[in-house]
Amino acid sequence: MADLTIQVREVDGVAVVRPEGFINAHTVRMFEDALEKLVAGGRFTILLDCRELNYISSAGLGAIMGLIENVRENGGDILLCSLQENVYAIFDTLGFTQLYRVFTSEAEALQALAGKA
Amino acid sequence: MRASHDPESFRLVIPSQTRYLNLVTGLAKRASLVAGMDDATAAKVSIAVDEAVTNVIIHAYRGESNHQVEIELRFREEALEIRIWNTGQGLHDEDVVLPDPREYVKHPRKGGLGLLLMSRFMDEIHFQDVGGRSECCMIKHVS
Repeated sequence: MADLTIQVREVDGVAVVRPEGFINAHTVRMFEDALEKLVAGGRFTILLDCRELNYISSAGLGAIMGLIENVRENGGDILLCSLQENVYAIFDTLGFTQLYRVFTSEAEALQALAGKA
Repeated sequence: MRASHDPESFRLVIPSQTRYLNLVTGLAKRASLVAGMDDATAAKVSIAVDEAVTNVIIHAYRGESNHQVEIELRFREEALEIRIWNTGQGLHDEDVVLPDPREYVKHPRKGGLGLLLMSRFMDEIHFQDVGGRSECCMIKHVS
């Protein structure tokens, strides 16, 4: 099994990125490439669906951090949903849950983005 | 015969390549469970080990893949002790400056988070030179 696979799809104008596996120093380039490709293509609203993400190290957090200013300056945002307990612990420990909007499910996140919640 | 106070331990030596990170963190997680930790704590230990080994590969060895990283897992009665050695540019306790998460949130930047995660997820961390090598020692108590 690959350490990381990434699926990207579009839902109601939102780029939904679903990483599956592990984001660490070995796989982070793939994750970073996927995000940078979206931003380069003018996709500034990105939802990271983390339901299949087993863990993310600081390398992966750095990849998100490296893009957040750019997407927000362009009127977009990076949001998170469906975090597993240990992944949530990593984000929360570093204060990322204050920096990023976190939702329990993809549906909830998309609803919030559509202005329904 | 092994003295009763001598903790059981084993060692693993890997090439200084990030492709082996998953192998090491998987081992650290299983070892934490064997030591008596719950799933959530074991996951935190595995992240701390990921960060420590990544630091060695990326910073101590500057990404050079032809070195070795030695890892020891020591099962003390009340704690799991993990020691990681390298022969590159090592850290010392006095070099470690942890970012303040509150400041980090106010002024986001890339980098500097690995040591913070290690310090938050482990009970003790020490960096020192031992026998001509750099050592990172991390301890997690079994509650």
